[in-house]
Amino acid sequence: MIRIDGSQGEGGGQILRTALALSACTGKALLIENIRAKRKKPGLMRQHLSCVHATQRICAAKVEGDAISSQTLRFEPGQIKSGDYHFAVGSAGSAMLVLQTVLPQLLLAEGQSQLVLEGGTHNPMSPTFHYINEVFMPVLAKIGFACSCEIEQWGFYPAGGGRVRVTVNPSIADSLKKLDLCSPGRLTSSSVLAAVAKIPWEIAEDECNTIVNAARFEVTQKKAISVDSPGPGNVAMLRLDFEHCPAMFTGFGELGVSRKKVAASVYREANHFYKSSAAIDPHLADQILLPMALAGGGSFTTMEPTEHTRTNMKVIELFLPVSHEFSQIDAKLWKIQISAA
Amino acid sequence: MKKVVIGFLGTILDRRGKSNRWESWRPSVSVCQHEELLVDRFHLLCSRRDESLASQIKADLEMVSPETKVIVEHLEFKNPWDFEEVFSGLLSYSQQFDFREDEEYLLHITTGTHVTQICMFLLTEAGFFPGMLLQTGPGRHNSPPGSYEIIDLDLSRYDSIARRFAIQTGDDISFLKSGIQTRNVSFNQLIAEVERVTVRSDAPILLAGPTGAGKSRLARQIYELRRQHSKVSGRFVEVNCATLRGDMAMSVLFGHKKGAYTGATESREGLLKAADNGILFLDEIGELGLDEQAMLLRAVEEKLYLPVGSDKEIRSNFQLITGTNRNLKQECRSGRFRQDLLARIKFWEFTLPGLKERPEDIEPNIDYELQLHSQNLGKPVSFSSEARAAYIKFANSFEAHWVANFRDLNSSLARMITLSDGNRIGLADVRIEIERLRREWRNEDEKDSEAHLVGLLKPEQIAELDLFDRLQLNTVLEICKNSANMAEASRKLFAGSLQKKRSTNDSDRLRKYLQRFGISSKEIF
Repeated sequence: MIRIDGSQGEGGGQILRTALALSACTGKALLIENIRAKRKKPGLMRQHLSCVHATQRICAAKVEGDAISSQTLRFEPGQIKSGDYHFAVGSAGSAMLVLQTVLPQLLLAEGQSQLVLEGGTHNPMSPTFHYINEVFMPVLAKIGFACSCEIEQWGFYPAGGGRVRVTVNPSIADSLKKLDLCSPGRLTSSSVLAAVAKIPWEIAEDECNTIVNAARFEVTQKKAISVDSPGPGNVAMLRLDFEHCPAMFTGFGELGVSRKKVAASVYREANHFYKSSAAIDPHLADQILLPMALAGGGSFTTMEPTEHTRTNMKVIELFLPVSHEFSQIDAKLWKIQISAA
Repeated sequence: MKKVVIGFLGTILDRRGKSNRWESWRPSVSVCQHEELLVDRFHLLCSRRDESLASQIKADLEMVSPETKVIVEHLEFKNPWDFEEVFSGLLSYSQQFDFREDEEYLLHITTGTHVTQICMFLLTEAGFFPGMLLQTGPGRHNSPPGSYEIIDLDLSRYDSIARRFAIQTGDDISFLKSGIQTRNVSFNQLIAEVERVTVRSDAPILLAGPTGAGKSRLARQIYELRRQHSKVSGRFVEVNCATLRGDMAMSVLFGHKKGAYTGATESREGLLKAADNGILFLDEIGELGLDEQAMLLRAVEEKLYLPVGSDKEIRSNFQLITGTNRNLKQECRSGRFRQDLLARIKFWEFTLPGLKERPEDIEPNIDYELQLHSQNLGKPVSFSSEARAAYIKFANSFEAHWVANFRDLNSSLARMITLSDGNRIGLADVRIEIERLRREWRNEDEKDSEAHLVGLLKPEQIAELDLFDRLQLNTVLEICKNSANMAEASRKLFAGSLQKKRSTNDSDRLRKYLQRFGISSKEIF
């Protein structure tokens, strides 16, 4: 049994999701304690329970402590079963976080799986559908994992109501590659997409223009769209396509936040990243650690590893025979090496 | 444990248009928008008129909370502001509702008319809805999800409220002890029990305990406490039954009619009537005559009695507290006290310990008395520290008999205060007082040592006796008095030699012994 102190590092839901995914992938039982102990509302919240129960369904796990505010969770995974799954998530929890939790085990499963996920598709504090589809999955493909997704309906906080379809194909263990993404290569193109639902389209257009003007690189494509969604919402996403790897930066509109601010949060981050000459953006660095560890290792450059990233590394090392090394190359650039232990 | 919410559709607050409704706070929807509140089922009550709003809210609820099953139920009120109609409607709803042990119920009271809120509250408080109240609010920014509170009407679950009750109880207990910080554990437990009885019961209380243990003071404090809690409105009437002797007793207690007997020139109300709606404290109840006991029994049982010389019964609703330093059970056995009356008056029985049984309380009582005297004198009265130490050491020693308990202690303090210079009791004052107390208690011992001689012998004769003979004779006489005849007394007195030599003439031996002091057996048996 792997015991994890859920309050270490940034002590949030990310430890739980990484641990759940790894437990399901490795078949090792998990005991996680002090879940979100330092938070204002400690213990499991609804969005975390959604992840626990989704993972439980796929790997037929025995679970104890799966209740609101519970700070201890015991998770004993069984056999992973591919197939058709439907998960509906409440508004505050992103459907994409549930996908992030269940995807690794389905990638290792024997047969093909079809997922339907309902809830938020573009929620703050979690990867958006577009990030998964245009950044995360293409990098997974480079490793040798085959999956794809499409959006049927957008879902924004607080109403939710989005809908995403995901197809996961089995991968061949021997053909998984150890990625070496240490230089981004040339910036081939970049595109900005701003979307609004139930609010004026001009807001999206303004955001696009602001981003294009403020970017330190040429934004080659610009798209402002009005989408259908049960509730109102606004998101601005800027994708940078480098020769070796894409990156994406996102800003969310909310009541009381001006479109300028939304746009600024996007171009500031993008400009920083562009200047750093890292290959992998900080969000992807977080998410790609687990698939790379499953593939046996690899290396990449990124910006300064966040608390999130460091905690993820520790949790991964508890389950998989890998070790992480990070070294600072210059002021803004770090290299992370994942090797088989 | 599953969470089930029951709440009315908010026909105004839940109706926030079509496209921009998500920007506004809607109470019913907000219930299911909290990350830490997982609702398994939501019973949404509404009128058929609001069907379309209800289905919109249901759909929105299920979207933001796929975990929640929403059940729309129709509850029609002709006038949702009519208390009677709403109450009975909700009552029937609660009665047909299938409440289960494994579910937890939250009654959402933010929506609905004020009348429905009041009725939900009343029905929850009365237990028809076995759950807690759920109150939601828009929060500071008037945006979803806002805030919520779960209100448990079981007040004992609230720390601060429970603490206030505890403080009140603590105040009451301290009040019963006249504010004296007693330390004796069993005494404090006793008072805590008295406090509960005082606040909750009007049944008769019997306060037992030696003289000076504080029965009278406690009875008065019980009365004051009941008055503060508005449990009594009448007076506190106190009488020592030892002072009620002869014909007057009946009249004092039960009153008389004008002309009832010679000298009864005016009608008299009597103490029972004076204590109407108040408390009657009969101290030394064991001293009450049998006739008065019979009258009192009826007055306690039926609140009715007959004044002397009257043929019209009088009603008085008093609470009876009695005090005794005698063993009333023994008094019953010897026929001096009515068994049925005892059973009646000792519904609550408390035995106050004497001062010697609670030595740790001597100091707090001294402080209390000093404080009282300071108030009366208008200037502070205190001990010098060595005087205090000496006095307390003596007070706790085996030498200190405290025969009359707190009465002894209080008089002792009063004497020292009076005699001390400048209101500060010095070591010299304490030494004098200790000597005085020793003398007083020795005298009492001595009095005891010749109790049985008095009457049989003249005082000059007693004075002539050696202490050795005085003590021996006194004990012999005590045994004689507790025996039926000479033979029984001698059997007790010579039990040892009787076993050894089977002598049969012990009566003669006793007779001869008594004769030495000029006492004949006829005088004793």
